[in-house]
Amino acid sequence: MLKGAEIVLQCLRAEGVELMFGYPGGAIMPLYDALEGSGIRHVLTRHEQGAVFAAEGYARVTGDVGVAIATSGPGATNLVTGIADAKMDSVPLVCITGQVRSALIGTDAFQETDVFGVTLSLTKWSRLVRTIDEIPEAIAEGFHWARSGRPGPVVIDIPTDMLKAKKEFSGPVKFTPHARLAEAKAEGGFTDTIVTEKIVAMLRQAARPVALVGAGAKLSGAIPELRRLLDDLNIPTFATVHGLGAVPPQTPYYLGMVGMHGTRAANMALHETDLLLVFGARLDDRVTGDPTRFAPVAKIVHFEIDPAQLDRVRPCDLPVIGNLADTIPAFQAELRRHSSSPSLPGSLPDFSQWRSVAYGPERAELDPRGLAQPTIRFLDELFSRLPENNVILADVGQHQMWAAQRYRSASPRGFITSGGLGAMGFALPAAVGVQLAKPDACVLCVSGDGGFQMNIQELATVHRLDLPIKMVIVDNKYLGMVRQWQQLFYERNYAETDLSDNPDFVDIAKAYKIHSFRLKEDALREFPVSQETGDLIDRFLSSPEPELLVFDCAPEANVFPMVPSGAALSEMLLEEK
Amino acid sequence: MQNFQIRYRNTQGTLMRILNAASRRGLEITSVRAEAAENGYQVTLALEVNPKQVGQLFREWYSIADVTVVRAGSAPTAEWAVPHPPEGVGIESRTVVRA
Repeated sequence: MLKGAEIVLQCLRAEGVELMFGYPGGAIMPLYDALEGSGIRHVLTRHEQGAVFAAEGYARVTGDVGVAIATSGPGATNLVTGIADAKMDSVPLVCITGQVRSALIGTDAFQETDVFGVTLSLTKWSRLVRTIDEIPEAIAEGFHWARSGRPGPVVIDIPTDMLKAKKEFSGPVKFTPHARLAEAKAEGGFTDTIVTEKIVAMLRQAARPVALVGAGAKLSGAIPELRRLLDDLNIPTFATVHGLGAVPPQTPYYLGMVGMHGTRAANMALHETDLLLVFGARLDDRVTGDPTRFAPVAKIVHFEIDPAQLDRVRPCDLPVIGNLADTIPAFQAELRRHSSSPSLPGSLPDFSQWRSVAYGPERAELDPRGLAQPTIRFLDELFSRLPENNVILADVGQHQMWAAQRYRSASPRGFITSGGLGAMGFALPAAVGVQLAKPDACVLCVSGDGGFQMNIQELATVHRLDLPIKMVIVDNKYLGMVRQWQQLFYERNYAETDLSDNPDFVDIAKAYKIHSFRLKEDALREFPVSQETGDLIDRFLSSPEPELLVFDCAPEANVFPMVPSGAALSEMLLEEK
Repeated sequence: MQNFQIRYRNTQGTLMRILNAASRRGLEITSVRAEAAENGYQVTLALEVNPKQVGQLFREWYSIADVTVVRAGSAPTAEWAVPHPPEGVGIESRTVVRA
């Protein structure tokens, strides 16, 4: 006879779970009581939001399912932001919540919240367990949905009496979708030759084709296939923030990040293209700008695993539904069948002239006032001095966009950020999950002074586990991105964005027994940077212990280029008016 | 008015997810009829939607874990045309019944 809690843990082990993040409380106590000897390591964060973001960090960097645990009521509701984040960014996540005992459900009992209902619109699948017999099936099915198709979050809510109850346990089960469901959710996609021939035909007719790479490229595991295809196509290519690293930045046809703070070349190429090939991106408003003027003369071929992502802002001309790991090789095979025979009348046109036009006269971001230059240079110095085995996390705000613009790695899972939901406070706890998943990697966590304070309590987790995370606060003493919008679009009415009374982050880190220091932006005004500054950054990055570096950023530094909300990509601002 | 028929496994929350796809867009759900159908369940919805929303709803419903079939349905039957909420079942009359 095993308790429900022991069955939960055995089923988690059967799903390959070795690490989970959580915070104990009344209804989930039986699970914590059974932890010892379960074979699963539990990491105590200092807030449930820290736990779910840490689980996300683990999942984002490994591609495996992240697991977060919380108690009922406030414990469960504190997971909600992370669940929404995982939904937006397609992160495989399983959250297990304790619930009040079965007899009390629906009575507004102490710490009772309908977490199933609260998270219904944020989860891919969820289950309120009603009997102990359901536990193995619920966990198996939950992991299936978290992993399959477009990955996403799952909630399994278990009443505390189910965790305490005992039953004969014959072992974990496997979930197999019944035949009709399996058929309906088949991932193979439309890889038939009719579709691939159509794409090749569209390429033949195009004069200015481009490719856009999103998160789906890395989620599918099809990076090698994608790179081979792009090499064959040899057309201007750019990435969303989640697609960074999918294409090596030094690749000649790569134009950088696209969208609201994308490069001028990428945005202009996207605006002028007549054929857009989208690989695993949902084309949200941060990428498209004004959807009615997005790629206005282009036909769109959209490679996507989740049909729900098609036509959200702009109808596509040819959807290619399926896993990129299947659809890209099918397309490439068709492409090579034509391109390998130069005598064929259907060989692809020479796009070299379009490529050179798309690059434009300049790729560098402009900032004539220079206020952002020391920060950009600082990030460049940090990134260029990182060891090869590194992961960069960015929180949400100006520093996030500067970091994304300066990211120069070819590691598909090397840049992690909350891109869809834009959840401030994401980076520090996510870095905990990343560092635990990649103990030998140099994990660099870049935050702003606003976001860092949203989960600052996780410094305690970093200290407890002695994780050698390199934390950077880009401290401009403002909610910088909001302030930038206030400056540009609200006549400098800096309403409630002034954080000039920030605490001294160096002192705070010391209170958590974490070494910390401040770097003035004056040290980064000159290029190349001084030997002293370079040595300081090298020492920071190579320290075997956690460290916090607070970088003073000019309060009114702005991120450019910028596409104003509601404008077309071609209407980006390159400087302040 | 557009009618939709959606086949699904009647697992926890699946019907709510189907309805949520409409409610998150602020659509008024004029009628809902859920019932057992061959090999599972079927819900028939009548919604005021524009053509763009039709496509979005189709794809969003189809991506729900336990949804198997999505299609435009037949015209609603006469019994669906009764007012919503039904006339004569207001709070006052309920109070009378309780009393």
